[in-house]
Amino acid sequence: MSGLVQDFRYALRQMRKSPGFTFVTVITLALGIGATTAVFSVVDQVLLHPLPYPDSDRIVKVAETFQGVSGTDASPANYLDWAAQNSVFAEMAASRGWPANLSEGDRPERVKGTMVTPSFFSLFGINPILGRGLAESDAHAGNDHVVVLGYGLWQRYFGGDRGTVGRNVRLNGEQYSVVGVMPPNYSPDDYGELWVPSPWGVPSHPLAPDKDPRQFRDRSYLDVWARLKPAVTPQQAGAELDTIGRRLEKQYPNEDDKIGVSFLPLHEYVVGDIRPVLLVLLAAVVVVLLIGCANVANLLLARAAVRGREISIRTTLGASRQRLLRQLLTESVVLALLGGGFGLLLAVVAVPSLLALSPPEIRQFKEIGINREVLAFSFLASIVCGIVFGLMPALQASRSNPSEFLKEGERGSTANRGRTRSVLVVAEVGLSLVLLVGAGLLVKSFARLMDVNPGFDADRLLTFNVGLPSSTNAAQQFAFYRDVMQRLQALPGVRSVGAVSRLPLAGGNSGRSFKVPGIDKDYSADIRVSTTDYFRTMGIPLMKGRNFSESDLGSSLNVAIVNDALAREVFPGQDPIGRQLTNFGPDNLTLQIVGVIGNVRHVGLDTAPHSEIYQLLGQAQWPSVFVAMRSATSDATSLTSMAQSAVWSVNKDVPLANIRTMQELIANSVQRRRFSMLLLAIFAGVAMVLAAIGLYGVMSYSVAQRTKEIGIRMALGARRPDVVALVVKQGMMLVLMGILAGTVLSLAMTRLIAGMLFGISATDPLTFAGVAVLLGAVAFFANYLPARRGASVDPMVALRYE
Amino acid sequence: MIQLKNIERTYKSGAGQTWVLRRVNLEIQPGEFITVMGPSGAGKSSLLNVLAFLDDQWTGEYWFREQAAYTMKRKERAELAKKNIGMVFQSYHLLDDLTVMENIDLPLSYKDIPRSERQSLVADTLDRFRIVAKKDLYPSQLSGGQQQLVGVARGVIHKPALLLADEPTGNLHSEQAKEIMELFRELNQQGTTIVQVTHSEANAAYGTRTIQMRDGWVVGDTANPNLSPANLTATEPRDAAVNR
Ligand SMILES: Nc1ncnc2c1ncn2[C@@H]1O[C@H](COP(=O)(O)OP(=O)(O)OP(=O)(O)O)[C@@H](O)[C@H]1O
Ligand SMILES: [Mg+2]
Repeated sequence: MSGLVQDFRYALRQMRKSPGFTFVTVITLALGIGATTAVFSVVDQVLLHPLPYPDSDRIVKVAETFQGVSGTDASPANYLDWAAQNSVFAEMAASRGWPANLSEGDRPERVKGTMVTPSFFSLFGINPILGRGLAESDAHAGNDHVVVLGYGLWQRYFGGDRGTVGRNVRLNGEQYSVVGVMPPNYSPDDYGELWVPSPWGVPSHPLAPDKDPRQFRDRSYLDVWARLKPAVTPQQAGAELDTIGRRLEKQYPNEDDKIGVSFLPLHEYVVGDIRPVLLVLLAAVVVVLLIGCANVANLLLARAAVRGREISIRTTLGASRQRLLRQLLTESVVLALLGGGFGLLLAVVAVPSLLALSPPEIRQFKEIGINREVLAFSFLASIVCGIVFGLMPALQASRSNPSEFLKEGERGSTANRGRTRSVLVVAEVGLSLVLLVGAGLLVKSFARLMDVNPGFDADRLLTFNVGLPSSTNAAQQFAFYRDVMQRLQALPGVRSVGAVSRLPLAGGNSGRSFKVPGIDKDYSADIRVSTTDYFRTMGIPLMKGRNFSESDLGSSLNVAIVNDALAREVFPGQDPIGRQLTNFGPDNLTLQIVGVIGNVRHVGLDTAPHSEIYQLLGQAQWPSVFVAMRSATSDATSLTSMAQSAVWSVNKDVPLANIRTMQELIANSVQRRRFSMLLLAIFAGVAMVLAAIGLYGVMSYSVAQRTKEIGIRMALGARRPDVVALVVKQGMMLVLMGILAGTVLSLAMTRLIAGMLFGISATDPLTFAGVAVLLGAVAFFANYLPARRGASVDPMVALRYE
Repeated sequence: MIQLKNIERTYKSGAGQTWVLRRVNLEIQPGEFITVMGPSGAGKSSLLNVLAFLDDQWTGEYWFREQAAYTMKRKERAELAKKNIGMVFQSYHLLDDLTVMENIDLPLSYKDIPRSERQSLVADTLDRFRIVAKKDLYPSQLSGGQQQLVGVARGVIHKPALLLADEPTGNLHSEQAKEIMELFRELNQQGTTIVQVTHSEANAAYGTRTIQMRDGWVVGDTANPNLSPANLTATEPRDAAVNR
């Protein structure tokens, strides 16, 4: 033990003795360990931690399947049958988004509500910090006007007043009694900031909020959650749900045709999409760390050559090889720990910026930061690094035979060390090429994505959400929307205004099934309800037929405009104008197509357009709409306050929600891609710089070793350019080998990010070539500097010492 | 062939300067075989470095074949050296990683000589020095004498007019040394001007003229009997003392 302390003290002295070496090493390691720790802190919370509910690994998200493909929601009737017939779940719950206008006095705010079954609270098992959650008795007509508040809303809107519980608040114009407040960050469905029950137990349909939903079997809008019984395995649960699903399909051959049921662990449901991104980033950052380690190993190898004498003397004085190894390893581990310490500081600074960049899937994890596990991780990473980069130099140094060393000088052993160092540099170049290729592919994908035509003109568009309470009737809602549209249109600086039920890239979607006379086939398409001016405002081109018109509102004919994708799918080679769509939606409407408009990328820029059917607002209704305003000036946000006043002048209880420009919506829709692209690009850049530094170090060392040879060559007539070429050629050989190895490795590795690419193959030759050229150019400079130094060798001096 | 006038070379040392060459005046005729002798530290290697244009920190006049080399730019001098001068070193200075043949080829590789011509020159030289059998060996696989043989071969492969050799036999025993000296004589008889540095009287005997150096001064020259050591120490005793 005292030996260790002595080793440790000696290690500190060594570090003080060569501050330059210590500085470079510690910085390199701090960068590597800091970046790795930062990424790990995210991975730790998102992927490794259970969700913050008791026994959260037993909670699952249940959903209907269609033709064996899992969907995301379920109908109330199916939900009730699953709940009644299964024996594998201890509890089931259902919820749906219930956006509401919260108005106290003169401050209306559109808030994110969730309508839930009372079991929702017991299932997730989190107790309120004030009052109570929802109970079975709340879910009955007459008792149902109670609300549980989320912590954030309670703080923001009610100033955290404990007296809020028991008070009445106005939601959608009706009185609700506050019964409880949930703790911070409680949002199992990643939406709700308040929770209300339904008078029928099961949440009502958003378009028919006044109807008993319990018989609805063909309208799927519920998020369904369940908790597995303690002894039940997921396989057992899956088998039983399968049986239930098949039974229901037989029992309800119309509504449940091809409908089954499946579930996903809640954790998987929450992080499934982001997992590959995080794993790729973690792998990338570990590679950066490895490259850093290789650099430090190289420095240590160079120093081992210098310390050869010291080590031979120690050996002649009786130090065993083991003892020497221990001392050398202690030195490198101490270095690594120091690097790790600074790395941790770096991570503390970096994590907030990392989170600021990250998509909502990550940001919803509020606890991300440096916790005990992260500390342990970076400590462990430091130790492992210390051993990884210290072992090889230590082994080599301790192996050198002292008598040989004293007799032969450095000659024999340095050749060997030179080879090890070259191998390390080849590996560094290869690994950084892999990262560069990955980053290059993501950057190119991103560029391709931003070049995608979304189907509308996103410039100068301000969008927001308004809605009347669902308790209002259709005529009131229509009157409200019409008045709002007129006032907005009249505002100075507004070129045109439109409204639509579902705005592209704003999240959310709705579908309907329909038939076409004479064709025995069930079709389905996305449904939109829009105003007449919506297409013009958005710049969505009318390709055939006509737009909606005011006169349609008075007509008994239900008109529809379809998009190009639908026209091609349902009426290939025919004129869809004047054709009918029958059995449309649950109300079995018949629609007549009057126009065809261009496709819009609704789900994301990277998702091909679906078939779409537009109905006219007024002929069809929707609980809330997105308003799109095209501004006459380039700053669409300047319209915000005028728009707010205009809406308030129609109804003072209606707030604007989700105010964003279309450009923001586009940016949000690509945020995950931007996040992974940016991080990978940063890591690749760091990797390249580290590899270049490594190469520089090796070549400098090699030039120093070759001083005499260079002197001889110059005495025999070599000129400076000859010498530069000689050294650069040697270095570029290493680079070439690294690039070759990296290319082979990349071909295997880029398959892992194939799912993150868009419009480009994982083996895109242009990217591979471009990246190789970039790396080659950087490496050339890393080579050129030592080469130039080599060429300035004075042959007289070089030849003199020997 | 060469005229040195008042060549001086100094090194900065601490506060002052150390003279290593002092007012060296020397005329070398084509075809001479000159031996430079003198105690260690006398400036023999320094003089050779000046002659070889490896050094360019001296003052004075250096005429090479009636060209004022001392007014030339570094590059021109290097060019001049490359064309006309060959070098042989005491410790051979062969490149460890190159074979005998590649070592010999080295000076040619720095000239614009067509590949085929280079190959035939190398072949000729291997032949002439009777080392064909060794052409694919590495220096470490040769004896000291053989290594120096290669060193000499390399020094003359490009047919330099002037061959400079700094203690070419310093690391060899007398049998091997004799062989190298025979070779030098042969080269000299074929027209190569040679300047060699040696401590050995036996080697000096192969030369046609001997120059004595001490403390940076040329103190004796068989071609210039006026220049006697006694004469010199009498006239400039103080400088000599300072240089020590
Ligand atoms: N780079 C240098 N810096 C300072 N002094 C130098 C340098 N090179 C040579 N000298 C000095 O110049 C003087 C002459 O050195 P030189 O190598 O020419 O001697 P030498 O006659 O070749 O001796 P030897 O027979 O031992 O080879 C010596 O006193 C030496 O210390
Ligand atoms: Mg000498």
